[in-house]
Amino acid sequence: MSAVVTASATSRMTAEYVNPVIAATRTVFSTMLNATATRTGLSLRSDPSEVSQPSSGVSAVIGLSGQAAGTLVLNLTSSTAIEILHRLVGAEVTQVNSEVCDAVGEVTNMIAGHAKAQLAKYSLLISIPNVVSGDDHTVHFPSNVIPMVLSFDSDLGPFTIEVGFSNLPVK
Amino acid sequence: MKVLLVDDSGTMRTIQKRCLNKLNVNDIVEAEDGVQALAAFEAHTFDIVLSDWNMPNMDGLTLLKEIRQRNTTIPIIMITTEAERARVVLAIQAGVSDYLVKPFTPDGLRDKLERWVGCHV
Repeated sequence: MSAVVTASATSRMTAEYVNPVIAATRTVFSTMLNATATRTGLSLRSDPSEVSQPSSGVSAVIGLSGQAAGTLVLNLTSSTAIEILHRLVGAEVTQVNSEVCDAVGEVTNMIAGHAKAQLAKYSLLISIPNVVSGDDHTVHFPSNVIPMVLSFDSDLGPFTIEVGFSNLPVK
Repeated sequence: MKVLLVDDSGTMRTIQKRCLNKLNVNDIVEAEDGVQALAAFEAHTFDIVLSDWNMPNMDGLTLLKEIRQRNTTIPIIMITTEAERARVVLAIQAGVSDYLVKPFTPDGLRDKLERWVGCHV
């Protein structure tokens, strides 16, 4: 019985932060990029070995702190990242450079910021985004966090958002 | 009209700068954080400050307080992802003149900036 209660509480808390992230992603893509982001998948990285799966393209990482601690990672293919810069400022580039990374970081900042506004009761603060790029890079979550993986498709190309909290309190 | 534009994202500064240019505002000094911005503020005379909140070295709220200690009347507009009521109240208490939440539409940015710079150009 307690296991059922625990699972139910976990699902509720997960939905509590995943839904704002999904809504924020759609809002940022439509408002800033004139694009439609459609969620195509939602999974839990239950296998610890999956957490360290390498990514390619560009990943932007933002930490959330306050009455809960979490991490949000936006991972895009290089072509999607380049298209984000193009949509934001019209720049035409052929490969990922500092401008592309800056644009991806700013989009991630807006997604995290918009989502945290829906989680105001946790008094969250967001960090400055860190952006990494290249083939086979890996973003590690804390060992006690099993992130949710949100897969999206969009006019700009596919992308994923991974988000996880280590100590989301019951409120 | 001379504008101090503060944001750690070059992409965001470009978006705002182009909007200002369309409003015939071309005298713009850019800063990447509060420290750079405060140095620029002490070196030049500005008509308006546009500032992000979350930045390295010195954040926008601290910058706002620092500028208000030096100038109580200059318009300071925060353009930021910080949308929670408690955060907006902090900015108001520190003396912000206006507030625009990211993400914004092109029209939303233009309307906000035009309201403050339009009467000066």
